Formats: sequence, structure tokens, C-alpha cells
Amino acid sequence: MIEEPYRWVEAISNRREYVEHQLAHGSPITALTYRDGILFLTLSRERQKIFEIYDRIAMGAIGHPGDIERLRMAAIELTSTEGFTRSTADVSLRRLATYSLSPALKAAFEQVYGAPYLARMLFGELGRKGERNLFVRIDYDGAIHTNGGSHIHTFEDFGVISGTSASANAMEKFLRTQNFTDAPLADALRVAVDAWIVGQLALGEDPSEELPSAERIAEHRAEQFANAIIEAAVLDHTARTAIKYRQLGIEEFNSLQLAAR
Amino acid sequence: MEAFPASFRASESPFFSPLSLNGEIPKPEDFAELLRRRGLYPCGFAGDAAHSMKNGTSGFFANPAARAEILQTNATTILAFKFNDGVLVAGDRRATAGNIVVYDRADKVLEIDTHSLMAIAGVPATAWEMARVLEHSFQFYRRSQLQEMSLDGKVRALSKLLRDNFGFVMQGVGIVVPLFATFDVLNDAPRLYFYDAMGAQFEATDYAASGSGSPAVRSVLHYENTWGKKPLRKLGRDEAVIIALRALDTAAESDTATGGVDRRARVFPIVKIVSRDGIATLEEKKLARTFKQKVS
Repeated sequence: MIEEPYRWVEAISNRREYVEHQLAHGSPITALTYRDGILFLTLSRERQKIFEIYDRIAMGAIGHPGDIERLRMAAIELTSTEGFTRSTADVSLRRLATYSLSPALKAAFEQVYGAPYLARMLFGELGRKGERNLFVRIDYDGAIHTNGGSHIHTFEDFGVISGTSASANAMEKFLRTQNFTDAPLADALRVAVDAWIVGQLALGEDPSEELPSAERIAEHRAEQFANAIIEAAVLDHTARTAIKYRQLGIEEFNSLQLAAR
Repeated sequence: MEAFPASFRASESPFFSPLSLNGEIPKPEDFAELLRRRGLYPCGFAGDAAHSMKNGTSGFFANPAARAEILQTNATTILAFKFNDGVLVAGDRRATAGNIVVYDRADKVLEIDTHSLMAIAGVPATAWEMARVLEHSFQFYRRSQLQEMSLDGKVRALSKLLRDNFGFVMQGVGIVVPLFATFDVLNDAPRLYFYDAMGAQFEATDYAASGSGSPAVRSVLHYENTWGKKPLRKLGRDEAVIIALRALDTAAESDTATGGVDRRARVFPIVKIVSRDGIATLEEKKLARTFKQKVS
């Protein structure tokens, strides 16, 4: 059947619809640059969604846990072997994304007899001296979206993923109105939570052009805090060791008095 | 990344395992296993000990010179002992080949992770590579399994690397006899291990030493521990450093393969301390002062 070109196109488009439908309820993940590095944040109910990949690279993902796991392991294996055979300085997110993950995802997606990866990933890499932090979103079809630099659009100091593009767009729109690049962790956490709330609201509602009001965000935040737990990690360039990844704990959220605000 | 483009064929599964798993349950493998699968395992310890041993019989048992070489390549002094804060690990800086001094700033006390130190005696090429595999193993385990490797697991990991390397030891190349010091954060206790070339691990109660200068060091540490002012375990940080420097100086006195303190070039031994707070490296300035006041 799929030998005929238009059938193939049809099959791909069906498959896209299917994957999008599967991902549509994925809880948003926010990553942004703050004073000491990169903050990753999401609110979740059960499984872990933010992971350490290498010394300066972290990943957040939504989708099927089995697929996320395979992609996560692939990313860890690729970076670890590269770091071992050459040097940790040779491990780069750009190469991981463009040469390894993207082609693999595209191939799996377009082979209509095989199963595609039900996963959408967000990577962050801490910039080395003088460089800006890199955020890369890689979709189930291998499409790559970065926060700028090599592309025409201006550099943005954040990256987001969500179940739908409307939700991700709303989060990006919200983050463009906020200042956080020089903020301490406590303030960055607040912005990241609010961006998550904006994304979550956009998932449930009819997509609208307007961002929700501050009151609406606060109200929804209180609701969410009652039901879900915050999961967050940082790539902290002030860390003394080569390993910059650190998961944030309950104490850190408490001391930030997020809930009390 | 460039190391693996061969794995990518559009018609096949795009990666090696785990992406190429076809419904198989992934096994939690260790980093050495991953390197082996990718053909990147350092060839000094290729992991086929039985095979190498078979080859090695002609090399080692039939040739006494090879045996002498083994003893020679072990030229170094490293020591470690438990004291009040944790474990102190020290090593001289000399690297030799026969009677030639190759390098006088070798670092034989290597940081493996935030709470683990490995001190190496033996063939540097193999030892440093082993340390690198070990360091990556612990990190790979944490990242992939989403939990820290247990302390016993870490101790065993080094043992496995040594066992894998044994074929080469039998051939007269690549012997490594390391020490492994770590701090058990869960039980708030210092732990110290020494190994033999086959990978047997021994937990040391108070102190351990390895390398050609180790008999002298062991004598000093035994004496201090038994008849000294205090047992080693009760020593404060400064007192511990003095004992370590004196022990290394004693070893250098009779062993040409152990570099003492080169006062002209200001080369001092490497002294590191692992405690519950992590690893601290003693500054050269401080060592110089201690050496001047208490050792020389």
C-alpha cells in the first residue's frame, strides 16, 4: 500500500495525528537561564521527567515512559562514551541533537511499519565560559528547535515543551514578558512555575491569544500545588565539580516559600 | 556523535542498543560493558583474562625476566590511613622506568568521585585508564540507573577491572596494585581497601600501603599505630599530615623508585583527605611549611 507515494504521505500524516494525540496531555516542562545556570521545572504526579544526561547537559521529556527511557539511555550512552574516548569537553548538545538523535527519530517516524517514538524532549546545555546556554527541543519526528544562535531569530534564554503547540507558544509568550536571566534561584523558580501554569491552562482551554491574568495564574497555582509535586533540577555553573547537575529537594522548595506566596 | 555513525542505517534501527531493542528488556549494564560493546574498552584490560592468561604462560612462567619486570614496574609509594576526620591518602611524585626517572610530578592519588579516592601503584598507562573507566562507571551508573552506586558496588567495580587486567599482568605488562579510599556517608564511617593484582579486595582496618616503598611505610605506620603518641585513628588533620610526610620520606630514604621531597624544585607529595564533607587536597604551601617544621 505505502509503495504509492501519496499513500505514504497519508500514512505519515495519520501517524503524526496519532502521535500528537498521544502527547496532547503531556505536562509542560520549563527550562530557563537564571543567575547561576539553567533551571528545569515541571509539576508532576508520578514519574520523574527531568534527567541528568552529562556533566553540563540535562533533559526533560514528555511522552511514553518506555520511549523516553530508550532515548534517555541513548543520550547517556552517546555522551558518556564520547566523554570517555575523547574528553568531557568534546561532549556537545548540538552534536548529540543534530547528528544522533534527530536522524534516528526521523527514521523511526517515517518507517511506517515500525513504531515511532512517542516522545518530545527538551535539552539544556550550560554554556562554557562566555557562551550562552543552549536549549534544544527535539520532537518525535526529529524536528529540532533551538533557542537561537545559529538561526535567524534572536537568542532566547529559555526553552519549553508541552503537549500541544498552543500551550508551548503560550509559555514562550509568557516567558518573553518576564525577567529571569539575572535572577537568583528563588525568583527563577517562581517564573518557571508560572510559565508551567500558563502552559497547563493553555492545554485545557480553547487556545486564546491572550495570556491568563495574574489572578488566574495565582488561582490555578494554588490548585496545582494541592495536587501535584514540583520537580526541578539545575545545571549550576557555580558547582565546584565538573558535574553541574543537581536535583532540587523539598527543602529548597520550602525555603523558597513558593506555596506561601 | 562521531564515534558511532556506523550504527546509523536508515533501514535498520538507528542506534545500537538500547534504541535497537526490539521489545527486549534492557539490562542495567555497567559502563565497562558498554565500552566493550562499542569496542572502546581500553585494550590494556580487554576483559578476556582466560585467553590472555593462556598466552601469558609462555611470557610469564617461562621467562623469569618478565617476573623481574613486574616487580620493577611497581615502583612507587602510596599510602592511606584512617584518622579522626576520615582517610588520608598520599603518594610520592616519581615515575620510573627501570633506573630512569621519567617524571617527577606524577599524580598518583586520583579523585574518582566526590567521596572516593584511588591511589595507584604500577604501570601508569593502565592505572590511569582504570581510574578513568572507574570514574565514568560511577557517573554512568548514577545517570542511567537514577541512583548512586552503592559503596560496595564501587569497591567491587575496581576489583573487576583488576581481574580483567590480569591476563596482561601475567604477560609482564600492565600490573596495577591500587588503594581505594572512600567515605561511607550513610554510615558516617571512613572505608579503606587495598587490592592485589588479581583483583582480590581487602578492607584495611587502619592503614594500607602499596608500591616498592610500601614495606618501609608499613613499618612506620605500624609503629605509629601501636607505640606512637596516639593510634592513627585518633590523629588530628595536622598530625596525620606529619605522619604521612615522614612515612614517605622514610620510604624515599631506602627506595630509589620513590621520590622524596625535592626541595629545590619544590615538589611535594600529593596528600588528599576524604571525609564526610568530600575530598580536600592539601596545598603545596601548607605541605612545605609542615615539611620544614616537622619533617626535615
